[in-house]
Amino acid sequence: MADIVFINEHNSSSMADRLIGMVESVIHQEHGSVALVFLIGVIFGGIIQYTRVDKFEKIAGFAMLKDTIVPKMLFLAVGLTSIALYFMIEAGGASYHVKPIILQGLIIGGILFGISMAILGKCPGTGPISIAEGRIDVLVGAIGGVLGGLVFTLYYDDFFKPLMGESLGKGTLPELFPGYEHLTVLIFGISVTLIAIFIPKLELFDEADLRKLPDETRPDKK
Amino acid sequence: MSNRLPWWMGGILMSGLLLLTFSIFGADRPIGSSTYVPYFAGIIFDLNPENYSYLKHIEASGSWEGIMLLGALFGGFITSVFITKSFRFSLIPTAWKTYKNNSIASRLLWSFFAGFIMIIGARLAGGCTSGHFMSGMSQMAISAMIFGGVVMVTLVVTGRLFYNVKGKK
Repeated sequence: MADIVFINEHNSSSMADRLIGMVESVIHQEHGSVALVFLIGVIFGGIIQYTRVDKFEKIAGFAMLKDTIVPKMLFLAVGLTSIALYFMIEAGGASYHVKPIILQGLIIGGILFGISMAILGKCPGTGPISIAEGRIDVLVGAIGGVLGGLVFTLYYDDFFKPLMGESLGKGTLPELFPGYEHLTVLIFGISVTLIAIFIPKLELFDEADLRKLPDETRPDKK
Repeated sequence: MSNRLPWWMGGILMSGLLLLTFSIFGADRPIGSSTYVPYFAGIIFDLNPENYSYLKHIEASGSWEGIMLLGALFGGFITSVFITKSFRFSLIPTAWKTYKNNSIASRLLWSFFAGFIMIIGARLAGGCTSGHFMSGMSQMAISAMIFGGVVMVTLVVTGRLFYNVKGKK
């Protein structure tokens, strides 16, 4: 009898309880305090908003090859971080969290993700920042996303997990060149940074945003 | 104060944030931003994690990203109101009108569809632009390079086919 009561209570947990559970889960994880994780989010949102890479014109613009701000910024961030992170890990200041090579999942997922990124003009990180600046169309996309998350959760065991296939392990590039790890890291980091610098800078502006700015601060008139 | 940061400043700042998040003095984990979506779906539709293996599997990273998302919404909102001054309600992007059509219904339907398959794609691959491209490539993970390559190619091919880019500047 007691068991049944317990199960019922658990099943009818309110949304408020679940949100409190979210905070408690972070407190118990030892991946930073709740305040720090929130702050990481604030900085993340601030950088994305301040560089304007949440704009449809930036991501869909890149898909049309009319804007290259997103790849330039991404490659630069990766190039710099790869070198710094490698030596930070060697010094014991961080550790690797490498995702497994699940080949079918990566390829099928990557194709779906690329198609939807071109159409929506956002990704799951930049989408919320767009919603925070009032983009209703992206909010509709997020509702689609939550339903996608629901379908994935409901059919994970029966459909999606078999579709992803088996993991081939967690490889990294330096592991492929034993004895030359440091050189591999430096070549990778420097090459990716140079790619970021040498991708030609193209920009597609949104007149609707520029109109709200004084003439002398408009980036298209500089 | 300038209303936008140049790409190189954005790249340097994002790199700093990634290093802070990875560091044992920070969060000792990578940045990710797609696991929170099924996590919130579980909350909204009141699914019990005991009954759904995927919810149990993502409980820790989903809640972490959930808190980060709340911060990101707050940071994005404050920055859009006070710095970039881009806060406004809109239903259809300017470039959609230029390169696709003027129909709000078309934009909303495509957004819904794209959002739906985006999250399924990200969860199949086990990450998104943040988790795979930024955090994964920074660790030189092979998985991230496969994902990044497939996404880049598909993105540009879809951009060519989906939008009317010919004859327009």
